Amino acid sequence: MREERVRKGKKRERPVISVRNVSMFFRVPVENTSSLKEFVISMAAGRNRYRTLRALNGIRFDVYKGEIVGIIGTNGSGKSTLLKIISGAMTPTRGRVVADRKSIQLLTLGTGFDKELTARENVYLNGAILGYSREFIRRKYDSIVEFAELQGFMEQKVKNFSSGMVSRLGFAVATARDTPGILILDEVLSVGDMFFKEKSGKKIQEMIHSGATVLIVSHSTDTILRNCTRAVWIEKGIQKMTGDPEEVCRAYIEYGKKRGGAG
Amino acid sequence: MDRQSLFVIQELVSREIRRKYSRSKLGIIWSVLNPLLSMAVLSLIFSSMFRKSIENYPVYYLTGFLIWNFFTTATNTAMTSLADNQMLILQVKLPRSVFPLARVCTAFVNYLYSLAAYLCILLLFRIPFTWYMLLYPAIAAMVFFFALGLGCILSVLYVFFGDVRHLYSVLLTLWMYLSALFYPLELLPEGMQALIRQNPIYSFIAAARDCILYGRMPGADVWARMALWSLGVFLAGAWIFRGSQNRIVQKL
Repeated sequence: MREERVRKGKKRERPVISVRNVSMFFRVPVENTSSLKEFVISMAAGRNRYRTLRALNGIRFDVYKGEIVGIIGTNGSGKSTLLKIISGAMTPTRGRVVADRKSIQLLTLGTGFDKELTARENVYLNGAILGYSREFIRRKYDSIVEFAELQGFMEQKVKNFSSGMVSRLGFAVATARDTPGILILDEVLSVGDMFFKEKSGKKIQEMIHSGATVLIVSHSTDTILRNCTRAVWIEKGIQKMTGDPEEVCRAYIEYGKKRGGAG
Repeated sequence: MDRQSLFVIQELVSREIRRKYSRSKLGIIWSVLNPLLSMAVLSLIFSSMFRKSIENYPVYYLTGFLIWNFFTTATNTAMTSLADNQMLILQVKLPRSVFPLARVCTAFVNYLYSLAAYLCILLLFRIPFTWYMLLYPAIAAMVFFFALGLGCILSVLYVFFGDVRHLYSVLLTLWMYLSALFYPLELLPEGMQALIRQNPIYSFIAAARDCILYGRMPGADVWARMALWSLGVFLAGAWIFRGSQNRIVQKL
């Protein structure tokens, strides 16, 4: 299956996501001034210094239709920032991302649920924010509930739910769309209990097979090895390696060992 | 503003309203009850004091209070709208202005409910109907845009400085006293009156009192002032909001 997808011939098409030399610098104040008073004081004292945090530095890669690309890296390596830039929530400092923003769906779980509302209300609210129309949610409502295995719980407030139930619902809502052209998964492959994990894994496989292009972000080599056709390794904002998942993961593990040994 | 944004705003507004009353038995009735009770309290205290200078004191007060209450609720809730919804902000592809806008709309819906109380009071005090009353929605619309503009500015400021909330609450207290909410303007010395006339909120309130309570046309200068303030603040809000999009996402 995987070999089929990596066919060299595919590379000549136009990429669906093109990350072109993307850099993201944050100006981080040396002293964190989150209050106006502090800000004024430090400005008056002339010590409102900033240092530049290079969250991403010259990242470039292309993603082609039907590919499953994994982005791997340790915590705080800039993966999430890259996702935000690709999905259009942020504009990079330098470089740009060319992609059809309309067909991108970012799948991060448990976000955007209001615990004071019932599960039903949350499905509508969350769906609206994900870009579903009212009619679409109404049509899909039953299948969402069924998939999340929450029949009979929908009129309850989400604050009474277990975290597993919340993430199941989140997964069901986020994947309700028929064919997201580009699916971005942020550490969501391990949702719920063992049985739901199997089910969500199957659903993701389904989406992948439906011809969607997938971008998976993870710090686990397992996830990457199991699902991806290509991997990009980002470390401290620098693109370390791009290529075959097995090679990239091997290098990544090697690096982790070395770092662990040194530390 | 496309259909999807409209749908999101609807959902956000209905969420806010349900949330607001999720712990109370009477629910949305509080929107009606609250101004009435506030009016009762203020009337109890000030009615006899201002009997000579203000007739129909409860109506006088309520007219101002409804506008004031809408304005403060709208701006106060819009202020925290970006910070409260930071999880959603990273996901949506919609214009982020839906968040402050939804909060202002929520306050507006509440305000519309409290107009039911207002109507009862108008009937109770036998305020005669005049055609000028039909100008009231125009005034409400201008307050809406004024509050929206200021709400957008505050929401941006609040992302960067949490203290804005405390500063603003002090400012609001001052502002309330400068809006002639529960006393007659004529009570003040000349210089003070001139100052208060420059206050946009006072213009809105005075115009509403003219239309409803006194059955007369607000002066052209008042109309001009209201229009300029609401348009100016709205545009400033939209401009500042758009200009700081990227930095907001970084900060959140």
